[in-house]
Amino acid sequence: MSLRNDRRRWGSIARFFHWIMALAIIGNGVFGLLMDLAHGPMQKINWLALHKSIGLTVLALFLLRLLWRLIDRRPPDEPGPRWQQLAAHGVHGLLYLLIAAIPLSGWWFNSVAGKPLQWFKLFNLPPLAAKNEDLADTVFAVHEYLFWFLVAVLVVHVGAALKHHVFDKDNVLRRMMPFGRPRP
Amino acid sequence: MKALYPALLALGLALPDAVAAADYTVQPATSTLGFAGTFQGAGFSGKFDKWTAVISYDAAHLAASKFDVTVDLSSAKTGDKDRDTALPGADFFNIAKFPQAHFVTTGFRQAGAQVLVDGNLTLHGVTKPVTLNVTFKPQGAGAVLDVSGSLKRLDFGVGGGDYADTSVIAADVKVTAHLQLAAK
Repeated sequence: MSLRNDRRRWGSIARFFHWIMALAIIGNGVFGLLMDLAHGPMQKINWLALHKSIGLTVLALFLLRLLWRLIDRRPPDEPGPRWQQLAAHGVHGLLYLLIAAIPLSGWWFNSVAGKPLQWFKLFNLPPLAAKNEDLADTVFAVHEYLFWFLVAVLVVHVGAALKHHVFDKDNVLRRMMPFGRPRP
Repeated sequence: MKALYPALLALGLALPDAVAAADYTVQPATSTLGFAGTFQGAGFSGKFDKWTAVISYDAAHLAASKFDVTVDLSSAKTGDKDRDTALPGADFFNIAKFPQAHFVTTGFRQAGAQVLVDGNLTLHGVTKPVTLNVTFKPQGAGAVLDVSGSLKRLDFGVGGGDYADTSVIAADVKVTAHLQLAAK
Protein backbone atom coordinates (compact mmCIF):
# COMPACT_ATOMS: atom_id res chain seq x y z
CA MET A 1 0.00 0.00 0.00
CA SER A 2 2.00 2.94 -1.23
CA LEU A 3 0.72 6.47 -0.78
CA ARG A 4 2.24 7.43 -4.08
CA ASN A 5 1.62 6.00 -7.51
CA ASP A 6 4.01 3.37 -8.76
CA ARG A 7 4.47 1.86 -12.21
CA ARG A 8 1.79 -0.78 -11.71
CA ARG A 9 -0.95 0.97 -9.78
CA TRP A 10 -2.37 4.20 -8.45
CA GLY A 11 -1.17 5.14 -4.96
CA SER A 12 -3.61 5.19 -2.06
CA ILE A 13 -3.91 8.99 -2.14
CA ALA A 14 -4.89 9.02 -5.81
CA ARG A 15 -7.30 6.14 -5.17
CA PHE A 16 -8.76 7.95 -2.17
CA PHE A 17 -9.41 11.07 -4.25
CA HIS A 18 -10.93 8.99 -7.04
CA TRP A 19 -13.41 7.03 -4.96
CA ILE A 20 -14.38 9.60 -2.36
CA MET A 21 -15.08 12.07 -5.16
CA ALA A 22 -16.96 9.45 -7.20
CA LEU A 23 -19.17 8.82 -4.19
CA ALA A 24 -19.69 12.51 -3.43
CA ILE A 25 -20.34 13.48 -7.06
CA ILE A 26 -22.79 10.68 -7.86
CA GLY A 27 -24.48 11.00 -4.45
CA ASN A 28 -24.78 14.77 -4.70
CA GLY A 29 -26.01 14.53 -8.30
CA VAL A 30 -28.82 12.16 -7.33
CA PHE A 31 -29.52 14.27 -4.24
CA GLY A 32 -29.78 17.36 -6.42
CA LEU A 33 -32.35 15.69 -8.66
CA LEU A 34 -34.43 14.69 -5.63
CA MET A 35 -34.64 18.21 -4.14
CA ASP A 36 -38.30 18.60 -5.02
CA LEU A 37 -39.20 15.64 -2.80
CA ALA A 38 -38.44 17.71 0.30
CA HIS A 39 -41.33 18.01 2.72
CA GLY A 40 -41.90 21.71 3.09
CA PRO A 41 -39.68 24.70 2.42
CA MET A 42 -37.50 24.36 5.52
CA GLN A 43 -36.48 20.81 4.64
CA LYS A 44 -35.71 22.02 1.14
CA ILE A 45 -33.58 24.83 2.60
CA ASN A 46 -31.67 22.27 4.66
CA TRP A 47 -31.31 19.81 1.78
CA LEU A 48 -30.08 22.56 -0.53
CA ALA A 49 -27.61 23.70 2.14
CA LEU A 50 -26.29 20.14 2.34
CA HIS A 51 -26.15 19.83 -1.47
CA LYS A 52 -24.15 23.08 -1.65
CA SER A 53 -21.82 21.99 1.16
CA ILE A 54 -21.09 18.66 -0.56
CA GLY A 55 -20.57 20.45 -3.88
CA LEU A 56 -18.09 22.85 -2.31
CA THR A 57 -16.32 19.88 -0.74
CA VAL A 58 -16.00 18.28 -4.18
CA LEU A 59 -14.52 21.51 -5.49
CA ALA A 60 -12.00 21.65 -2.64
CA LEU A 61 -11.10 17.98 -3.12
CA PHE A 62 -10.68 18.64 -6.82
CA LEU A 63 -8.14 21.39 -6.14
CA LEU A 64 -6.22 19.16 -3.74
CA ARG A 65 -6.37 16.33 -6.24
CA LEU A 66 -5.02 18.55 -8.98
CA LEU A 67 -2.19 19.61 -6.69
CA TRP A 68 -1.41 15.99 -5.83
CA ARG A 69 -1.51 15.13 -9.49
CA LEU A 70 1.24 17.69 -10.10
CA ILE A 71 3.37 16.19 -7.31
CA ASP A 72 2.72 12.53 -7.95
CA ARG A 73 3.46 11.22 -11.45
CA ARG A 74 0.65 9.08 -12.84
CA PRO A 75 1.40 5.44 -13.67
CA PRO A 76 2.22 4.83 -17.32
CA ASP A 77 -0.68 3.79 -19.56
CA GLU A 78 -1.57 0.14 -19.64
CA PRO A 79 -0.66 -1.47 -22.97
CA GLY A 80 -3.37 -1.01 -25.58
CA PRO A 81 -4.20 0.70 -28.84
CA ARG A 82 -2.99 4.29 -29.02
CA TRP A 83 -6.47 5.62 -29.84
CA GLN A 84 -7.86 4.05 -26.66
CA GLN A 85 -5.13 5.65 -24.57
CA LEU A 86 -5.85 9.03 -26.16
CA ALA A 87 -9.59 8.58 -25.72
CA ALA A 88 -9.08 7.67 -22.06
CA HIS A 89 -6.99 10.81 -21.48
CA GLY A 90 -9.57 12.90 -23.31
CA VAL A 91 -12.33 11.51 -21.10
CA HIS A 92 -10.25 12.13 -17.97
CA GLY A 93 -9.62 15.74 -19.03
CA LEU A 94 -13.32 16.22 -19.66
CA LEU A 95 -14.15 14.72 -16.26
CA TYR A 96 -11.74 17.07 -14.53
CA LEU A 97 -13.28 20.00 -16.37
CA LEU A 98 -16.80 18.99 -15.37
CA ILE A 99 -15.85 18.20 -11.77
CA ALA A 100 -14.76 21.84 -11.45
CA ALA A 101 -17.45 23.39 -13.66
CA ILE A 102 -20.47 21.81 -11.99
CA PRO A 103 -19.84 23.10 -8.46
CA LEU A 104 -18.69 26.44 -9.86
CA SER A 105 -21.90 26.76 -11.90
CA GLY A 106 -23.86 25.92 -8.74
CA TRP A 107 -21.95 28.61 -6.88
CA TRP A 108 -22.65 31.00 -9.75
CA PHE A 109 -26.36 30.13 -9.68
CA ASN A 110 -26.45 30.64 -5.92
CA SER A 111 -24.79 34.05 -6.41
CA VAL A 112 -27.15 35.38 -9.09
CA ALA A 113 -30.11 34.08 -7.07
CA GLY A 114 -28.78 36.16 -4.17
CA LYS A 115 -28.67 33.30 -1.67
CA PRO A 116 -26.14 32.85 1.12
CA LEU A 117 -23.52 30.15 0.67
CA GLN A 118 -22.50 28.37 3.82
CA TRP A 119 -20.26 25.33 4.21
CA PHE A 120 -21.86 22.88 6.64
CA LYS A 121 -23.06 25.82 8.81
CA LEU A 122 -19.40 26.61 9.60
CA PHE A 123 -18.45 29.53 7.38
CA ASN A 124 -19.77 31.53 4.48
CA LEU A 125 -18.31 32.02 1.03
CA PRO A 126 -18.66 35.19 -1.03
CA PRO A 127 -20.80 35.34 -4.18
CA LEU A 128 -19.07 34.80 -7.54
CA ALA A 129 -21.32 37.31 -9.26
CA ALA A 130 -23.75 40.08 -8.42
CA LYS A 131 -27.35 39.17 -7.71
CA ASN A 132 -29.33 39.04 -10.95
CA GLU A 133 -32.58 37.12 -10.68
CA ASP A 134 -33.25 37.41 -14.42
CA LEU A 135 -30.15 35.32 -15.03
CA ALA A 136 -30.94 32.70 -12.38
CA ASP A 137 -32.98 30.31 -14.58
CA THR A 138 -30.34 30.33 -17.30
CA VAL A 139 -27.49 29.67 -14.88
CA PHE A 140 -29.48 26.92 -13.23
CA ALA A 141 -29.98 25.32 -16.65
CA VAL A 142 -26.20 25.49 -17.18
CA HIS A 143 -25.68 23.76 -13.81
CA GLU A 144 -28.15 21.02 -14.73
CA TYR A 145 -27.00 20.46 -18.33
CA LEU A 146 -23.39 20.23 -17.18
CA PHE A 147 -24.51 17.48 -14.80
CA TRP A 148 -26.23 15.54 -17.60
CA PHE A 149 -23.14 15.98 -19.72
CA LEU A 150 -21.14 14.53 -16.83
CA VAL A 151 -23.52 11.57 -16.68
CA ALA A 152 -22.90 10.93 -20.37
CA VAL A 153 -19.10 11.15 -19.94
CA LEU A 154 -19.32 8.86 -16.90
CA VAL A 155 -21.13 6.24 -18.95
CA VAL A 156 -18.11 6.17 -21.28
CA HIS A 157 -15.61 6.25 -18.37
CA VAL A 158 -17.30 3.49 -16.34
CA GLY A 159 -18.17 1.50 -19.45
CA ALA A 160 -14.55 1.54 -20.62
CA ALA A 161 -13.25 0.56 -17.16
CA LEU A 162 -15.68 -2.38 -17.02
CA LYS A 163 -14.82 -3.40 -20.57
CA HIS A 164 -11.14 -3.54 -19.60
CA HIS A 165 -11.92 -5.49 -16.45
CA VAL A 166 -14.45 -7.98 -17.80
CA PHE A 167 -13.44 -8.50 -21.42
CA ASP A 168 -9.77 -7.53 -21.64
CA LYS A 169 -9.05 -8.84 -18.11
CA ASP A 170 -6.29 -6.26 -17.75
CA ASN A 171 -5.18 -3.98 -14.94
CA VAL A 172 -6.91 -0.74 -15.96
CA LEU A 173 -9.63 -1.02 -13.32
CA ARG A 174 -7.73 -3.15 -10.83
CA ARG A 175 -4.96 -0.61 -10.39
CA MET A 176 -7.58 1.95 -9.29
CA MET A 177 -9.61 -0.40 -7.07
CA PRO A 178 -9.56 0.57 -3.38
CA PHE A 179 -8.42 -2.80 -2.06
CA GLY A 180 -7.68 -4.89 -5.14
CA ARG A 181 -4.23 -5.93 -6.24
CA PRO A 182 -2.95 -5.59 -9.77
CA ARG A 183 -2.88 -8.79 -11.75
CA PRO A 184 0.61 -10.25 -11.95
CA MET B 1 -42.09 66.97 59.32
CA LYS B 2 -40.02 63.93 58.37
CA ALA B 3 -43.17 62.16 57.28
CA LEU B 4 -43.66 64.85 54.71
CA TYR B 5 -40.37 64.16 52.92
CA PRO B 6 -41.61 61.25 50.86
CA ALA B 7 -44.63 63.22 49.89
CA LEU B 8 -42.52 66.20 48.92
CA LEU B 9 -40.16 63.95 47.03
CA ALA B 10 -43.06 62.37 45.20
CA LEU B 11 -44.40 65.80 44.36
CA GLY B 12 -40.98 66.88 43.17
CA LEU B 13 -40.75 63.86 40.89
CA ALA B 14 -44.30 64.23 39.73
CA LEU B 15 -44.00 67.88 38.87
CA PRO B 16 -42.16 67.42 35.58
CA ASP B 17 -44.92 65.04 34.53
CA ALA B 18 -47.30 67.89 34.61
CA VAL B 19 -45.29 69.36 31.77
CA ALA B 20 -46.42 67.83 28.51
CA ALA B 21 -43.71 66.50 26.23
CA ALA B 22 -43.60 67.94 22.74
CA ASP B 23 -45.67 66.20 20.08
CA TYR B 24 -44.09 65.47 16.73
CA THR B 25 -45.25 64.40 13.33
CA VAL B 26 -43.23 61.76 11.50
CA GLN B 27 -41.98 62.76 8.06
CA PRO B 28 -42.63 59.51 6.21
CA ALA B 29 -40.45 60.22 3.16
CA THR B 30 -37.27 60.46 5.20
CA SER B 31 -38.11 58.05 8.01
CA THR B 32 -37.45 54.33 8.00
CA LEU B 33 -38.41 51.37 10.12
CA GLY B 34 -36.14 48.44 9.46
CA PHE B 35 -35.08 45.06 10.76
CA ALA B 36 -32.09 42.83 10.26
CA GLY B 37 -31.63 39.13 10.75
CA THR B 38 -29.27 36.34 9.83
CA PHE B 39 -30.06 33.47 7.47
CA GLN B 40 -27.51 30.72 6.85
CA GLY B 41 -24.74 32.82 8.33
CA ALA B 42 -25.43 35.83 6.14
CA GLY B 43 -27.03 39.02 7.35
CA PHE B 44 -30.06 40.43 5.59
CA SER B 45 -32.03 43.56 6.21
CA GLY B 46 -35.52 44.64 5.46
CA LYS B 47 -37.90 47.47 6.05
CA PHE B 48 -41.56 48.17 6.54
CA ASP B 49 -43.07 50.51 4.01
CA LYS B 50 -46.26 51.15 5.95
CA TRP B 51 -46.29 52.18 9.59
CA THR B 52 -47.41 55.06 11.75
CA ALA B 53 -45.95 56.49 14.92
CA VAL B 54 -47.31 58.90 17.48
CA ILE B 55 -44.30 60.53 19.14
CA SER B 56 -44.28 62.73 22.23
CA TYR B 57 -40.82 63.33 23.54
CA ASP B 58 -38.99 65.65 25.83
CA ALA B 59 -35.49 64.71 26.93
CA ALA B 60 -35.95 66.77 30.06
CA HIS B 61 -39.32 65.20 30.90
CA LEU B 62 -38.90 61.55 30.01
CA ALA B 63 -41.83 60.51 32.16
CA ALA B 64 -44.17 62.52 29.96
CA SER B 65 -42.75 61.06 26.76
CA LYS B 66 -44.54 58.40 24.79
CA PHE B 67 -44.16 56.41 21.55
CA ASP B 68 -47.01 54.53 19.98
CA VAL B 69 -46.11 52.69 16.79
CA THR B 70 -48.33 50.59 14.54
CA VAL B 71 -46.74 48.55 11.76
CA ASP B 72 -48.48 47.07 8.73
CA LEU B 73 -46.69 43.71 8.58
CA SER B 74 -47.70 43.05 4.98
CA SER B 75 -45.38 45.90 3.98
CA ALA B 76 -42.17 44.06 4.97
CA LYS B 77 -39.60 43.92 2.17
CA THR B 78 -36.17 42.32 2.32
CA GLY B 79 -35.24 42.22 -1.36
CA ASP B 80 -35.37 38.43 -1.61
CA LYS B 81 -38.30 36.92 -3.49
CA ASP B 82 -38.48 33.71 -1.43
CA ARG B 83 -38.17 35.48 1.89
CA ASP B 84 -40.68 38.18 1.02
CA THR B 85 -43.16 35.49 0.00
CA ALA B 86 -42.58 33.56 3.23
CA LEU B 87 -42.70 36.49 5.68
CA PRO B 88 -46.45 37.26 5.47
CA GLY B 89 -47.30 33.55 5.57
CA ALA B 90 -48.65 31.49 8.44
CA ASP B 91 -45.16 30.35 9.49
CA PHE B 92 -43.89 33.88 10.09
CA PHE B 93 -46.00 37.04 10.56
CA ASN B 94 -49.26 35.30 9.67
CA ILE B 95 -50.76 38.55 8.44
CA ALA B 96 -54.09 36.88 7.67
CA LYS B 97 -54.56 36.60 11.43
CA PHE B 98 -52.24 39.31 12.76
CA PRO B 99 -51.97 42.08 10.17
CA GLN B 100 -50.32 44.59 12.48
CA ALA B 101 -47.61 44.87 15.07
CA HIS B 102 -47.97 47.42 17.83
CA PHE B 103 -45.43 48.97 20.15
CA VAL B 104 -46.38 51.26 22.99
CA THR B 105 -43.99 52.63 25.57
CA THR B 106 -44.44 52.04 29.26
CA GLY B 107 -41.55 54.20 30.47
CA PHE B 108 -38.24 55.84 29.67
CA ARG B 109 -35.04 55.51 31.68
CA GLN B 110 -31.76 57.32 31.68
CA ALA B 111 -28.88 54.81 31.78
CA GLY B 112 -25.70 56.83 31.87
CA ALA B 113 -25.60 58.85 28.67
CA GLN B 114 -28.09 56.51 27.03
CA VAL B 115 -31.86 56.75 27.15
CA LEU B 116 -33.68 53.42 27.25
CA VAL B 117 -37.32 52.94 26.52
CA ASP B 118 -39.38 50.10 27.89
CA GLY B 119 -42.52 49.14 26.09
CA ASN B 120 -44.84 46.37 25.10
CA LEU B 121 -44.56 44.93 21.64
CA THR B 122 -47.46 42.99 20.23
CA LEU B 123 -46.38 40.87 17.30
CA HIS B 124 -47.90 37.69 15.89
CA GLY B 125 -50.53 37.80 18.64
CA VAL B 126 -47.93 37.80 21.43
CA THR B 127 -47.33 40.79 23.72
CA LYS B 128 -43.95 40.99 25.45
CA PRO B 129 -41.96 43.77 27.08
CA VAL B 130 -38.98 44.98 25.07
CA THR B 131 -36.31 47.58 25.80
CA LEU B 132 -34.87 49.78 23.06
CA ASN B 133 -32.19 52.47 22.86
CA VAL B 134 -33.29 56.01 22.12
CA THR B 135 -31.21 58.77 20.53
CA PHE B 136 -33.02 62.03 20.16
CA LYS B 137 -31.40 65.01 18.49
CA PRO B 138 -33.31 68.28 18.15
CA GLN B 139 -32.94 69.68 14.65
CA GLY B 140 -34.42 73.04 13.81
CA ALA B 141 -38.07 73.02 14.77
CA GLY B 142 -38.11 69.22 14.69
CA ALA B 143 -35.81 66.40 15.64
CA VAL B 144 -34.14 63.22 14.51
CA LEU B 145 -35.09 60.17 16.55
CA ASP B 146 -33.19 56.90 16.30
CA VAL B 147 -34.47 53.86 18.12
CA SER B 148 -32.77 50.49 18.03
CA GLY B 149 -32.83 47.21 19.84
CA SER B 150 -32.82 43.49 19.50
CA LEU B 151 -35.71 41.02 19.69
CA LYS B 152 -35.79 37.26 19.97
CA ARG B 153 -38.05 36.21 17.09
CA LEU B 154 -39.12 33.03 18.88
CA ASP B 155 -40.39 35.05 21.88
CA PHE B 156 -43.11 36.12 19.48
CA GLY B 157 -43.44 32.81 17.67
CA VAL B 158 -42.19 34.31 14.40
CA GLY B 159 -40.82 31.42 12.37
CA GLY B 160 -41.87 28.61 14.67
CA GLY B 161 -42.22 24.92 13.89
CA ASP B 162 -39.67 23.85 11.28
CA TYR B 163 -38.35 27.40 11.15
CA ALA B 164 -37.48 27.47 14.87
CA ASP B 165 -34.00 26.11 14.02
CA THR B 166 -31.83 29.07 15.00
CA SER B 167 -28.78 27.52 13.32
CA VAL B 168 -30.51 28.37 10.03
CA ILE B 169 -32.49 31.48 10.95
CA ALA B 170 -30.80 33.28 13.83
CA ALA B 171 -32.75 33.96 17.01
CA ASP B 172 -31.95 37.65 17.21
CA VAL B 173 -33.57 40.23 15.00
CA LYS B 174 -32.35 43.80 15.18
CA VAL B 175 -34.88 46.54 14.87
CA THR B 176 -33.92 50.06 13.87
CA ALA B 177 -36.07 53.11 13.39
CA HIS B 178 -34.86 56.39 12.00
CA LEU B 179 -37.50 59.08 12.30
CA GLN B 180 -37.39 62.55 10.93
CA LEU B 181 -39.73 64.53 13.16
CA ALA B 182 -41.47 67.85 12.62
CA ALA B 183 -42.87 69.77 15.54
CA LYS B 184 -46.64 69.75 15.64
